[in-house]
Amino acid sequence: MKKLFNISMTVLMILFLSIILIPDDLAVIEAQENQERYGGTINIAQKMAVAHLDSDNSTDWLITAMMNHVYEGLFEFDENLQAQPHLAKDYEITDDGRKYTVELRKGVLFHNGDEMTSDDVIASFNRWLEVNGAGSTVEPYFKEVEKVDDYTVNFIFEEPYAPFINILASPVSNQKFVVRHQDIIEEFGSNVITDHIGTGPYKYVDWIPDRNLRLERFENYQPSPLESSYYAGERIPYIENIVYEFITEPTVRVSGLQTGQFDFAEEVPTDQYEMFEANPEIEPVVIYPDQMAMFIMNNGQPPFDNKYARQAMVYALDLEELGYSMIGNPEFWRLEASLHEEGNPWHSSTAGEGIYNNHDPEKAKELLEKAGYDGTPLVILSGQDDRVERRGAIAIKDQLSEIGVEVELQLFDRPTVVERRAREEGWNIHLSTFSKIVPDPQIHQGWTGTNKWILNWDDEDSAKMDEIFARMMVETDYEARYEIVEEFYDFMWETVPYFNMLDFSRLNLVNSSVQNFQEAWQPFFWNVWFE
Amino acid sequence: MIILFLKNLNKLIRKNNFQVAFIIIILILFLITFTSLITEFSPLENNSRNRLQSPSFTHYMGTDEFGRDVFARVLYGARNSIQVGISVVILTIIFGGVVGILAGYYSKLDNIIMRALDGIMAFPGIIIAISLAAIWGGGKYNIIIALSFSYFPKMARIVRSSILSIKDLEYIESAKAIGASNSRIIFKHILKNSISPIMVQASFNFARAILDEAALSFLGVGIMPPNPSLGGMISDARSFITVAPWIITFPGIFIVIIVLSFNLIGDGLRDLLDPHLQNNY
Repeated sequence: MKKLFNISMTVLMILFLSIILIPDDLAVIEAQENQERYGGTINIAQKMAVAHLDSDNSTDWLITAMMNHVYEGLFEFDENLQAQPHLAKDYEITDDGRKYTVELRKGVLFHNGDEMTSDDVIASFNRWLEVNGAGSTVEPYFKEVEKVDDYTVNFIFEEPYAPFINILASPVSNQKFVVRHQDIIEEFGSNVITDHIGTGPYKYVDWIPDRNLRLERFENYQPSPLESSYYAGERIPYIENIVYEFITEPTVRVSGLQTGQFDFAEEVPTDQYEMFEANPEIEPVVIYPDQMAMFIMNNGQPPFDNKYARQAMVYALDLEELGYSMIGNPEFWRLEASLHEEGNPWHSSTAGEGIYNNHDPEKAKELLEKAGYDGTPLVILSGQDDRVERRGAIAIKDQLSEIGVEVELQLFDRPTVVERRAREEGWNIHLSTFSKIVPDPQIHQGWTGTNKWILNWDDEDSAKMDEIFARMMVETDYEARYEIVEEFYDFMWETVPYFNMLDFSRLNLVNSSVQNFQEAWQPFFWNVWFE
Repeated sequence: MIILFLKNLNKLIRKNNFQVAFIIIILILFLITFTSLITEFSPLENNSRNRLQSPSFTHYMGTDEFGRDVFARVLYGARNSIQVGISVVILTIIFGGVVGILAGYYSKLDNIIMRALDGIMAFPGIIIAISLAAIWGGGKYNIIIALSFSYFPKMARIVRSSILSIKDLEYIESAKAIGASNSRIIFKHILKNSISPIMVQASFNFARAILDEAALSFLGVGIMPPNPSLGGMISDARSFITVAPWIITFPGIFIVIIVLSFNLIGDGLRDLLDPHLQNNY
């Protein structure tokens, strides 16, 4: 009996000892799991090829989406569309909003091993001012960029410039400011950059035009200390290689994902949503809010040089019907008159009240008559490859014929459309897709006002619009600025230089084995691993 | 004995083919001529809330992504296709005929014309048509001109070769000897005797034109939306192939039937008009 007792006590002692001596199991398991997350190649089917990879030199959104892995901004947007310091550690605004002092994070390495300093930031910033679309709109108000020390930079404006940080962090193509190695800037100047040295979690390997782009994990990447949230915060490159394949045919992207050739497929037909949902190997990713279908008028030519004719278009369209025609499945679109989505600090719930989504063919006819429209057929110029533009044009032709307006469709390939819409004559209506993810209302200045973008709008109203934006730019107080934004919405819906028909979301597909994928507006593959 | 049987069987099948094709063509021509009586739906009227409906007694072939009736669109699309086919055939006969006659009858022009035609024929017809449609823009009339341009060299060659084979025969010599004018000899004696290869080529051109029109519309340089065309419908329906297969199936079937029928008619005509083959029967 005693022997049995001794044995049991010994066993018990051994067990106790082992609990104390063997290291913390959970930590080991977690470390092991973390280790297991590393590795693998992710194959991505992109919907279009790109002309080059220099985001400052192009408005192509895909370039920014892909190169977000290679280059990072001083500031990046988080989930709530708030700009967070990224390569920057902190910043402060002094001198009544004229001076932005930005402190950089120390120890951030470029892909060639050099440490990022203010010299790189200044070289990149000067190029951004000169080449980038947003940079050139900032440039007239900008005075100088000043190096304080290796990790501090001053950005000084002539007058207060409220949207600066938001524009630097903008996720929109041709706006975002990213830091490139100064050697690269010296080598290429304002020409298109073909060699890429950034600070991002992935390194550029090679790019075969019209075929693929390959990226590789950057082993010495220094992540941000902030908690990860979309583009901001910690980025961990678990996956070893990222390969972007350019696949223009949607059915090929879908079948490639179904067969396992791709792990991610960008923009697939929403009409097959139920089918994707039923497939356990596929995770459909609906990104909302995301895109706006815009109705753009040539404000420089009759009949749309008259605001009543432009208002008539809003009353003439049955927007709900358009939603079904352009997008289909009602889960993927919704009617929204504001240019910023709900939840965005610049959203307005009263935008377009009384006119938007108020289908009234009689009123449209009346307004056209008031505008003196003589019955000349209207030309809709749009892309024939783009689903929304093509289907929208067909549906709008049908709807306008109901109020007796004859429409001629001119559907062309993208380069032809871009070339023709830049002309002052030869078109009346153009359909286009805008990104709903706009970092700051000041961005609308690029589309709206006297002779902005392709509108050819030049009259008293456009001058008044210019004046609204001028006030918006210097107002740094949020409440006061929001009032100006409301004024912009009211005036926009009164004069209707263009309008947002509806918002829609895109459908991406991701393989179920891909873990922790975030439903961001531009897909990214850091912090993502394979099961 | 067996060989003889096989030959007879072959003859029978060929004859049946021709008959079936002929009946189908008549039926299709009937359908596309009286479309507005057969279906109450407009091929252009949108009704998006009624989109992607499967075939039913109201919509025999279902509805497409705009809620338009696929049956009406297929019929109007086929009408557009056949209009393109007929116009292309007429134009190729006129242009090919004139050029072929000039080259065949006037031997001095022969070399220049034929080399120029060789140049055009070096490019695949569809490529020429795509380039022309890209320059002029899409649309029914531009397609007709583009396709005629790419088809006429072949027609010219056929006319030329039949003229060459006839123009040195004794009866032409005697016509010349009694002082008949060139135009009389060409139209009265030569063309009349070379009509059969032209007919055969025309029927193949017809089928080819319909197929190429579909291809051009599929590629987006053909008949402009929202006007229906069989190729354009197929192109638009690709995204819906899994959820609404009827939108892509019916225009596809129609293209196959029309093209096959005209090819069969071409085969039949060739057999009927070719004296060598006739002797075999």
